[in-house]
Amino acid sequence: MSSSLRISTVGVRGVVGPGLKAHHALEFAAAFSVFLGRPDPVLIARDPRASSVMLREGIVASLLASGRDVIDLGLVSTPVLQHAIQRSNAAGGISIGASHNNADWNALKFLGPNGTYLSSGEASELLDIYHLRKFEFRDWTSVGMLHYDDEALDRYMEELEQVFDLEALKGLRIVADCSSGLSSMILKRVKQRHNVDITMINATLEPKAFAHTPNTNARTVGLQLAPVVQAIGADLGVLFDMDSDRIAVCCGDGDVVSEEMILPLLAEYQLKRMPGRMVITNLSATSVVEHVAGKYGASVLRVPVGRQHAMDAMAMYPADRIAIAGEGTGAVMLPEFRFVYDGMASLLALASHMHGERASLKKLLAGMPRFDMRKAEVELDAKRIPELMTELEERYEGAQKSTLDGLRVDFETGWFHVRVSNTEPVVRVIAEVREGNAEELMSKLLDVVRSYA
Amino acid sequence: MREHKLKVGVSGVRGVVGEFLTPLLAADFAQAFGAYVGRGRVVLGRDTRFTGPMIEHAVACGLLAAGCEVVKVGVQTTPTMQIYIAETGAVGGIAVTASHNPAEYNALKLFNGEGLFFNHYERTELLDLFHQGEFQVATNEQMLGIVVDDVTPWKRHIDRVLKHVEVERIRKRRFRVALDGVNGAGSRMSVWFLEEVLGCDLHAIHVDPTKTFPREAEPKPETLGELMLLVRAHGCDVGFGQDPDGDRLAVCDELGVMIDNDDMLALAIEAALAKQGGDVVVNLTTSNVVEDVAAKYGRKLYRAAVGEANVVDRMKRVNALIGGEGSSGGVIFSGTHLCRDSYTAMALLLDRMAGEGAKLSELGRALPRYHRRGGKVQFAHGKLGGLMLAMERQYPAAELERSDGLKLNLEDGWIHLRASNTEPILRVAVESRSEARAEEMFQRAMTLLKG
Repeated sequence: MSSSLRISTVGVRGVVGPGLKAHHALEFAAAFSVFLGRPDPVLIARDPRASSVMLREGIVASLLASGRDVIDLGLVSTPVLQHAIQRSNAAGGISIGASHNNADWNALKFLGPNGTYLSSGEASELLDIYHLRKFEFRDWTSVGMLHYDDEALDRYMEELEQVFDLEALKGLRIVADCSSGLSSMILKRVKQRHNVDITMINATLEPKAFAHTPNTNARTVGLQLAPVVQAIGADLGVLFDMDSDRIAVCCGDGDVVSEEMILPLLAEYQLKRMPGRMVITNLSATSVVEHVAGKYGASVLRVPVGRQHAMDAMAMYPADRIAIAGEGTGAVMLPEFRFVYDGMASLLALASHMHGERASLKKLLAGMPRFDMRKAEVELDAKRIPELMTELEERYEGAQKSTLDGLRVDFETGWFHVRVSNTEPVVRVIAEVREGNAEELMSKLLDVVRSYA
Repeated sequence: MREHKLKVGVSGVRGVVGEFLTPLLAADFAQAFGAYVGRGRVVLGRDTRFTGPMIEHAVACGLLAAGCEVVKVGVQTTPTMQIYIAETGAVGGIAVTASHNPAEYNALKLFNGEGLFFNHYERTELLDLFHQGEFQVATNEQMLGIVVDDVTPWKRHIDRVLKHVEVERIRKRRFRVALDGVNGAGSRMSVWFLEEVLGCDLHAIHVDPTKTFPREAEPKPETLGELMLLVRAHGCDVGFGQDPDGDRLAVCDELGVMIDNDDMLALAIEAALAKQGGDVVVNLTTSNVVEDVAAKYGRKLYRAAVGEANVVDRMKRVNALIGGEGSSGGVIFSGTHLCRDSYTAMALLLDRMAGEGAKLSELGRALPRYHRRGGKVQFAHGKLGGLMLAMERQYPAAELERSDGLKLNLEDGWIHLRASNTEPILRVAVESRSEARAEEMFQRAMTLLKG
């Protein structure tokens, strides 16, 4: 791995040991306390990684030293933490966990007083404080206190039940792959409280040996989930990432669905009930989103890739004008569930959609266009990127272009997006065509891109 | 004089919390400690300072990052921790306590796998690791976790203490005991120990570990006024004053008068020697009264440089039974563990009172009487050697001991000069059987040193 530590406006993420170290947790928590300003408590939660305990200890120490009370929710997922922040007077929160990364990684995600991810402006302010090391440790009379709260999950469940109709789950036989992560705790509660048929696999919280990479993509779904779904003849397979903030799915026959389709599927469910509202997504997500939006006269706002940009966009529009926001990764936010990326909410929305349409997942997908999408990444010398972008712009003169985030070019039959990763010295290339296969477009693009490698 | 608000040195890290002692520093130091002791169990505890939990989390972070398993024992006295480390096969331990320093301070006390203070070599090596900044790091795969055990440490400690006293004869006497726990780490354990275990009629103050220190933390006559009043008010047989981490003890007799720390050590040594054979180790500044007691039982007395680690080191080498440092009120009894322990001291004294049927003031009066004087002088850098030589010339007949500063042993007393480790200050201690002689030697020394 070229870089085992990534510090950016997305937060801090790295391989624990060689990259992410104890002092990062201490220093970022101290900077976060300064950033938050207002003296209210900070809520924290962690995933089951062994290193999460180490990071928690450092975060708690720095927050207490900064004079802040800390409420530790323990082993709960980011969405549960986000809801807890929204319900309380907390100044913000820190979620410890590297969601879809392998076990050797970890990360800190910073959440503001609304329980949402920081906007780009806020995140860069946090980084400035971190880099300047302008920490504000208090004297012995003003150190904070640590409290524990083990009821956050119950309150989250209550909210989930208020917003969604869990009856929708009842007609379905579901297999859930918990990726050794936190979704199992939520699903166990759902099973306790409701008579639902959910079979869980990889449902033990694992500190080190994850059952598989906890990533929500078609490849991972195909590993264990799809065969089990097919074998027991279930109606739906759902895979949660470690953090349960996103899902990937497969049909009852074990047919794996691209993670790109989660957003269009749920956008349809939302727009049917709230037509005319807008859909927010990033420049790399499938254009099936536009197809669905078009059916309901809705507009699609495309923003640069990265959660903070979605936050920036949502801050610009009233909540009641937004139907859904999401990424091609399978992570979506729904207005009725407080705009938090949440895999459980996504599952419930999908089940409600199937229930409402009296259709299987397969049938819902059959009603949607199938566009061929290809993704690739190329390592590149950063200095040559401007030349590359200029050449691509010239080659596709006449097409519709956006330079919000690298270069996105839209033409009659498809589009492509070439952008530089925020964190790695690579260029990501994504191409999608509405008819036929994207192979040819992709290979043309890669020829150009590689000529600058 | 420079104020030492932060000290990172061979004795660990100590400082005023917030501006000086930060969680970053504590975590880094703990990670260096983890690198030194290796990947094993490290016991982590603290005293009752408000900053204790904060520093404790920082230390846990550093230890886990180094690949150690952390055993959190919560609020415990330093001797309790030391015994726990030794008994549970840990590779080391860290106590978050600034001992007798004021509440705004905190510090890390470091122990090796035997539950003993890091000796000089260990401390120097650890400090090198810390300064190199190349801390051992564990990956997620190698990382161990935190376990909590805040119940068994008390019991392990007191079980050891009780092996060496006759509990029944203490309980039978139903001693009336006053206690000032300074709201320290031993608060709850002391109440349980004196009331439940030793069956005393206890009158305790400042035994709430959730509160801050009500008095200056060092237990001595000037800080234990309340204890003396408590003894008189309730007609107690004895009063005990502890420090925040429960290693030191000051004792008040039934008349409400504080017993001199050297005499208290002598009484504890006598109590131990009366029951068991063994030699004695004290530091160079401890009163000769201890020598007389050892001689009475036909035991050898060894003297070590000032500092608990030095005394313990010597005790280990000569296989001594008991030892201590007079001035600091610390009794080290090898039967319990090679550490200063106020619980062993309390038990030994009560056991002796029960055995002799004598009042504490009577036991104190039975000791040979010495007169002691002490003071300190500031000196300019570079002048220390000259001052020491001038003192030697003053007393050409003296037997000289140069292992820790300069000690002049005279026919009728001794003088000990010792430079502080942290400040440009020379500490002067003088002792003689004759009060006038002690005064005369002290004044002569001070005049010469100030000159």
